[in-house]
Amino acid sequence: MIETVPILVTVNGTRHVLDVEPRMHAADLLRGMLGLTGTHVGCEQGVCGMCTILLDGTAVKGCLLLAPQLDGCEVETVEGLATGEELAPLQRAFKEAHALQCGFCTPGFLMAATALERSGRRLTREEIREELSGVLCRCTGYEGIVRAVERRLTGG
Amino acid sequence: MKPAPFEYVKAVSVADAVALLTEHRGDARLLAGGQSLVPMLNMRLLRPSVVIDVNGLADALGEIALQGDAVAVGALVRYAEIERSSLVAERVPLLRHVVAYIGDRQVRNRGTVGGAVAHADPTGEIALVTLALGAIMRAEGPDGVRDIHAEAFFLGPYTTALAPDEMLTHVIFPPAAPAFRFFERGRKHNDFAVLSLAVVGRPEPDGTWRDIRIALGGVHDRPVLAAAAARALEGRRWDDALVRDAALLALEDCDPPDDFRASAEYRRHLVPVHVRRMLSALAGGHE
Repeated sequence: MIETVPILVTVNGTRHVLDVEPRMHAADLLRGMLGLTGTHVGCEQGVCGMCTILLDGTAVKGCLLLAPQLDGCEVETVEGLATGEELAPLQRAFKEAHALQCGFCTPGFLMAATALERSGRRLTREEIREELSGVLCRCTGYEGIVRAVERRLTGG
Repeated sequence: MKPAPFEYVKAVSVADAVALLTEHRGDARLLAGGQSLVPMLNMRLLRPSVVIDVNGLADALGEIALQGDAVAVGALVRYAEIERSSLVAERVPLLRHVVAYIGDRQVRNRGTVGGAVAHADPTGEIALVTLALGAIMRAEGPDGVRDIHAEAFFLGPYTTALAPDEMLTHVIFPPAAPAFRFFERGRKHNDFAVLSLAVVGRPEPDGTWRDIRIALGGVHDRPVLAAAAARALEGRRWDDALVRDAALLALEDCDPPDDFRASAEYRRHLVPVHVRRMLSALAGGHE
């Protein structure tokens, strides 16, 4: 019998004390144990980027992180972006630029773009595309997504 | 949950990690960035009994430091830190250059230099660069520390000279010849390489080239040096005919695999074409 591991993790500012199975990945912990289903699960092998979250401020793939590794860390998910009913500026930019259709990839893009936004870097369109290339979208063709992020990064 | 069950242990020091590896000899895996290990766990390609998390060892293994005139990169240094390091940019520019070809932003935020080398993917860019630059792998085991040259380190697909109870602690890049070119061909952006190629050399004032190293990835069961091609070029002035002949010699040191990414025939076609182009670019000082 494999023992569970006790962890203390802060998610979107709320501290949680949990007992986790070592083989559970971080995205499953967020969805299954905390009910934060905004973090989506796609390939579960680090390719699609749906499960992108911020780990101590850095964009990472939740499916490639074991739940016990979250001990002592701060995690941010898409649920942490809006304030009540009020969307964050990046979310508004996505809405205005028609940066989503089915919306399945949107949490991944929003979290990857949130890290970019906070870095304060001024990026060209090409650089934005490169920085976001770890999240896949199957319906928008990326134009709207890149436009939304570009507007945010240039203060639009 | 995708992986088969395993026990999770956090190593508190390198000695502790080595002791754990020794205790679970052959049945434990070290977890660093996890960008290769965790997919393999999720796909159940690996079913270790114990996963030893070494991410807490950044104090010992997370530094990029000058050691004499060599650059020692701690095994836990992440690709994103390589991207930001002025020391690497200045002293090991080829390493800095290839990081852009690895994974994507999220992968580069987590993946480590030591993990890439110890994983020994035949298509891996970092492994290729250690060969091209003659790097030294420093490993710690129950009997102490030993250094392994890159040429003796990669033994086959995902197989290295590390013993089951040894842990890679540093990758040391001695001063290398200053000029380089790198090329990679993949099926799609930042996918595993069908062919990756690094050429390194030193142009001499008399127009000859010295210290030539040509490293090939994706075209053998491990990254390899095209030694015969490098020998043909060493100490000579290069012209088109010499470069063309040397590029053909690169096929002597590789046996390209057939897989779903590309046929062996296609890879054999790519090798001399791109070795010739990179050598010409190196000699001409252009891309």
